[in-house]
Amino acid sequence: MGDVDQSRRTFLKSLVIIAGASMVIGMLRGLEVIVPPSVGISSFPLLQLVDENGNPIKASDVPVNGQKLAMFNYPLNNEPNYLLNLGNDSNQPVEIPATTVSIPATGQSYTFPGGVGPNKSIVAYSALCEHLGCTYPELTFYPPGVKASTFNGPMDKVIHCSCHGSTYDPYRGAAVVTGPTTKPLPAVQLKWDSTTDYLYAVTMIGPTIYGHTDDLSGGSPISGNSTTVKLMSNPALG
Amino acid sequence: MSRKSIGDWFAETFHLKDIPFMGVPTYMFSIEYWLGGIASAALFWQALTGLLMLLYYQPSDAYDSTMAIIHSVPFGSVLLSSHLYGAYIMILAVYIHGLHVYFKGAYKKPRQFQWVLGVLMFAMVMITSFVGYSMTGDVLGTDAVDVGKGILASIHLSALTPIFFGNGTDLDLFTRLLGWHIILVTLVVLLFALHFYLAEQNGFMPDLKEAKYKAPAVLRKDDARIKPWWPRNFIFMIGIVTLTWGIILMLPSILALPQIVDKVPILFSPYPGPSPTSPQASLVPAYPPWFFLFMYKMADMPFPLAIDVSMGALIPLVVLIVVPFIDRNEELHPLDRPFLTALFITGLTWLIELSIWGAGQPGVPVKPTWLLLVIIPPFIISFGGIYLLHFMWRSMKPKVINADPGEKAATSNGVEDRLLSILGIIVTAVAVIILLLSFSLNPITDGPLIGLSWSALLLLFSADVFIYFRYELR
Repeated sequence: MGDVDQSRRTFLKSLVIIAGASMVIGMLRGLEVIVPPSVGISSFPLLQLVDENGNPIKASDVPVNGQKLAMFNYPLNNEPNYLLNLGNDSNQPVEIPATTVSIPATGQSYTFPGGVGPNKSIVAYSALCEHLGCTYPELTFYPPGVKASTFNGPMDKVIHCSCHGSTYDPYRGAAVVTGPTTKPLPAVQLKWDSTTDYLYAVTMIGPTIYGHTDDLSGGSPISGNSTTVKLMSNPALG
Repeated sequence: MSRKSIGDWFAETFHLKDIPFMGVPTYMFSIEYWLGGIASAALFWQALTGLLMLLYYQPSDAYDSTMAIIHSVPFGSVLLSSHLYGAYIMILAVYIHGLHVYFKGAYKKPRQFQWVLGVLMFAMVMITSFVGYSMTGDVLGTDAVDVGKGILASIHLSALTPIFFGNGTDLDLFTRLLGWHIILVTLVVLLFALHFYLAEQNGFMPDLKEAKYKAPAVLRKDDARIKPWWPRNFIFMIGIVTLTWGIILMLPSILALPQIVDKVPILFSPYPGPSPTSPQASLVPAYPPWFFLFMYKMADMPFPLAIDVSMGALIPLVVLIVVPFIDRNEELHPLDRPFLTALFITGLTWLIELSIWGAGQPGVPVKPTWLLLVIIPPFIISFGGIYLLHFMWRSMKPKVINADPGEKAATSNGVEDRLLSILGIIVTAVAVIILLLSFSLNPITDGPLIGLSWSALLLLFSADVFIYFRYELR
């Protein structure tokens, strides 16, 4: 064994450390491979509401007071919404006026434009609870006379989630009635064509849809110019 | 011809006598020293059943393919329900193993890192179970994924949402859940290998009295009482593994019996819940699996979600990880470490309270007065009680330590031997009968009975192994 040149040894060791660090740091970026390419769209599409056979939905045909719950996806496939034709205790459609809705989480507020249709009674809200994302059938509309047990006692005419008890007022832009949610349900701005009685989804208003960083990404686009409305039984009616 | 038994031939051919695993003294052949072994046996069962289901699970059709495993795949319902209960048993075993290690002070020098690995594996097993249970695509799994997104958002980690749950399409979601389930379990297996290696190298934790309640407590490799790993440890291990597997198969198979299955509360159902789009889904409270019920109740607390998550999961986890680096004195008896012992008991009580509360009042918000009523008494009782016991223990400790351990000699008598032999014959005969009967069962429609018969075969085999093991101890 010859003499070991200590300084050379240290020098070579440091070369190994530098090259090793370069290798590790350089390849760490590769971890990005686990981030999926995002899917989505760049602007809110104008989509006509159609039934399961592709025929346009007429505003006057939307069931009053959620005897059947009409649901459609907008603006992306994994963003379900309720289409509600709101009525009074005798199931007559009532006008839903424009209103200012506040977001308790941020202290901000926005304007809900009110209902559309012949009676200005048709509204649409996200079917994803803003608290922890529960959806149909846990999150549902309680028509007049059907009481949900909320933290303010039994209440009807509310959208209530049985997962953690969040309650929203669909007659006032789905504003927060009781927590734990700190955000109202986002609303779909609808357009009604009075000559044909057809309905269109135009854009979203209010907080971001639950589980999305923005409404237009994090889901696959809806193909075509229409979105299908499905009629579901309302679990609130048992 | 030499008269070599098959066992000897086997041992020689595969060099089993040279296996470098540590043998143990006779007193360690007791379940309290094999709790980690039970968790490992469950892990092995999970890998086995999980890999088999991988042949059938379709991320493109998560719920329906899960239902197809139950209803159309031969023995599929046994696989799926025992995979679920295998996870349950594993989590329970990990809790018991961890608590046992805590109370024996086994996390102290030289096993600090072994403890840290254990805590990390515990956290990963919980996440793996969360993912696995979401993979079924039933209403509970769907809710779990939504809640998972909310939890990530609440702690400002929304950037991780697409990494865990995909780009928002169902296909990407379930493909990723399957991927993460396998990746996480692989990591658990790797950490387990390291954990096991450290356990071997650090030496096992001896009886506390033997160690005079002082760290470092290590069973020395040159201890005269140690006999080689082969065949004693091997035989006992086989007994433990088959016992664990038998229990894993038995519980869900009983619950899946047609007379019982409809009466089982959803929290313990051996099968997934209804599809999220079916009307029955609204009748199901949005329960997490039972081992996350405490988190569910935390979400009902009058705090923002970020605080719920920190108090329910992140802070306890950090406390667990740093325990061996804070509690560094040599005291091993739990009553010589009154603060940590009281803290553990308080935490455990909170965990159980919150879980039962979450099961009883799912989603019902907690009023601050109720919160205080639940949180404060266990705290006061365990700290008061443990410190009281601590002072009592202090006064009697010298006597206990100096007392003669009184070596219990293993006595055997002929009567006992004969009785055990008869028991062995009965056990074996029953096993053969069950084996024959089990062949008349239909692998698709008689899932629960098949599960029960396999469970019986495993348990009977285990019983025979333990009966035989008595002879190895001589």
